[in-house]
Amino acid sequence: MQFGYLPQFPPALTQPILFGALLAVGLLVGEAARRYASLPRITGYVLAGILLGPRVSGLLGPDALEAARVLVDLSIGLIVFELGFRFDLAWLKRNRWLFVAAIAESVLCFLAIHFALLYLGFQALHAASAAAIGTATSPAVVMLVAHDQRAEGQITERMLLFTAINSIFAYVGLTLLLPLLRLEHAVNWVHAVLHPVYLLVGSVLVGFIACVVMLGLARWLGKREDRQFVLLVALVVLTVGAARALNLSVMVALVVLGMLARNLDRRHVLMPLRAGHGGQLFFVILFVLTGASLEFDALATASFAVAGFITARFLGKTVAIYAFSRATGLRKRSAGLLSVALLPMSGLAVVMLHDAQSLVPGLRQELAAVVMASIALLELAGPVATQLALRRAGETRPEPRDA
Amino acid sequence: MPEAVTDERQFRRSDHCSIGVELELQVVRARDFDLSRDAADLIDRLEKRTLSGAVKPEITEGMIELNTSIHDRHATLLDELRSMRDAVVEEAGILNLYVVGGGSHPFHDWTERRITPSERFNALFERYGFLAKQFTVFGQHAHVGCRDGDEAVYLVHMLTRYVPHFIALSASSPYYQGEDTAFQSSRLTAVSAFPLAGHMPFVADWAAFLEYYETMRGFGIVQSMKDFYWDIRPKPEYGTIEIRVCDTPLAVERAAQLATYAQVLAAFHLAERPSAPSRAAYLVNAYNRFEACRYGFRGEMVEPYAARKKRIGDDILETLAMLAPHAKALGAATVLDALADLVRHGRSDADWQRAQRGKAGALEDVVRESAARWAGGRADGP
Repeated sequence: MQFGYLPQFPPALTQPILFGALLAVGLLVGEAARRYASLPRITGYVLAGILLGPRVSGLLGPDALEAARVLVDLSIGLIVFELGFRFDLAWLKRNRWLFVAAIAESVLCFLAIHFALLYLGFQALHAASAAAIGTATSPAVVMLVAHDQRAEGQITERMLLFTAINSIFAYVGLTLLLPLLRLEHAVNWVHAVLHPVYLLVGSVLVGFIACVVMLGLARWLGKREDRQFVLLVALVVLTVGAARALNLSVMVALVVLGMLARNLDRRHVLMPLRAGHGGQLFFVILFVLTGASLEFDALATASFAVAGFITARFLGKTVAIYAFSRATGLRKRSAGLLSVALLPMSGLAVVMLHDAQSLVPGLRQELAAVVMASIALLELAGPVATQLALRRAGETRPEPRDA
Repeated sequence: MPEAVTDERQFRRSDHCSIGVELELQVVRARDFDLSRDAADLIDRLEKRTLSGAVKPEITEGMIELNTSIHDRHATLLDELRSMRDAVVEEAGILNLYVVGGGSHPFHDWTERRITPSERFNALFERYGFLAKQFTVFGQHAHVGCRDGDEAVYLVHMLTRYVPHFIALSASSPYYQGEDTAFQSSRLTAVSAFPLAGHMPFVADWAAFLEYYETMRGFGIVQSMKDFYWDIRPKPEYGTIEIRVCDTPLAVERAAQLATYAQVLAAFHLAERPSAPSRAAYLVNAYNRFEACRYGFRGEMVEPYAARKKRIGDDILETLAMLAPHAKALGAATVLDALADLVRHGRSDADWQRAQRGKAGALEDVVRESAARWAGGRADGP
């Protein structure tokens, strides 16, 4: 074999090649979406994911998706941490109505979806768990649009605050529904009760411990942005890993870490968080992979239910935000824009749905498909809505001109 | 401030030595203490309250300006400033914002600033380009009422000698664009870049001033008296002279003290007319101004009427002692005592800011502590 040093043909598609291609295609489609269609970059990333995913080209198969799980977790971890880090208890103390409004937004949205699904003939418990999942706005989408558009202002801040609260509401709601769902499937009631307790208490505890470690180390490191950033990434990765290893919720552990880091930092040892170019990298990975795992099946079979789900969700959010706009110091027009900005649904909901399905095998396939299709639609339309709302609110900055 | 009279060449008569204050303030985000873009929302909320003074937008979106009404005495001015401060802090809290004094924001990036949308500010940006955004600095303007234009011209000339005092006493902009400038007040360099900055020409009286103004208008260099960005300028539509060299102090108490110092200085000069204005005051002005900006109380100044060099701090203390009888008559004795203490301890707002940096390490901490100082111990401060 004289040519033994040559690779086999065609060369194997190794992980680095796939990963590099994922980044490059995501970046290019994202940029093309922005330049030629004035769409948000995220919508482009998601489209790239759909193109690369099992349903179109099949380059990113289920194996690749599973292998990339750690990257997705890390990306979500960083995003959710920042979301929690922006959660300012002092603000809620000064503006108590804001907290009331955020809770009302979650509750009304939950109820609206719940009753819409009941009306569509779904069983109460299943409708409730789907409603809980639907309550969450996608932290990743709102955060990336805010970063991408360099948005600043009252609507941006409230959008992020409401997203933090409705994401927690969704997760806690779903977790509390679990025992009921599992009892239905004849699981021992002790375990049915212990499991959500373990999930919630355990996740909070992991977040708390990580926060104590972070504050201690940050104090020792001193106020240097570069060092503190590495510390932050290290602890986020560790927390993600610990939560996974202990079968806890990555989302809750990270959002708790972020919230506590902001609100327990009495000595002000932490520097404010500023996303650099590294952040963009994670966003591309996250959204391409999310795009690759989207399922549109129910769009054809249950389009009516999907439309009902999305409409009820939007109405629930809008009614609550309008009702409390005055009390929280928001102008009427801004209330409308905030409702639109909170539209996105995404990766987090996918994760919650998978968790719920794996724990409760009986969660009706049909309903899961409806939720999945709604997620898929709002994954594409949501970023557009958020970007439009923030632009209309005048809180974005024009892009620097292309060279 | 009163309604402006239509013809700005007419000097509106004011009560003798009445005072008023304008303060430009920073509106920062609670999240990272950088300048916000929320001044319009804050002003919106403040307009729904009944305030004795006015709150206005400024050239970029993280700035607001407070205007007090007219006062005869320090005590009522301070009361009004405090009640306006309370309202501003409270409404800012609802929006998760802090309001902060200080002549410059320590670490904001001027390229990130956005011009407040309005015809006037857009026109300024159109004309001055980057200077308009770099003008995101925060000053206190102190007005002193004059009975006529001749009095105003006389006072502008005489008070020019005290420009280094006002700079040193108010200095609170040691940091600029994330760097320690080594200056006590870095803010005035942002003002100096404008073509009509500087000082009033050495005119003899109001008639001569009007002649100068008409000439400049004839050349098409200015459209109105607002176009002069002088350190001290007559403001005929208010019937005042306006001292514009002060940084916005870190607390309203100092702001009221500075205005009162200007009031007592004016009362002294109008009552005693110690000397005729000298051109020498303008010859030494640039030097004195630099020394005060750079070194504060520790700088040197040339006293133009005695033609000798002194430490700025010493000159302030001598002046305060000389003013004592007039201060007493205006109920301002304790105010001048407080300023004398400030000079004797040699701890300006700029020194305090540097100490905060040394203690906590980061410029964000300087802004947070400054916000707490501005809030004056209110619970809704940081």
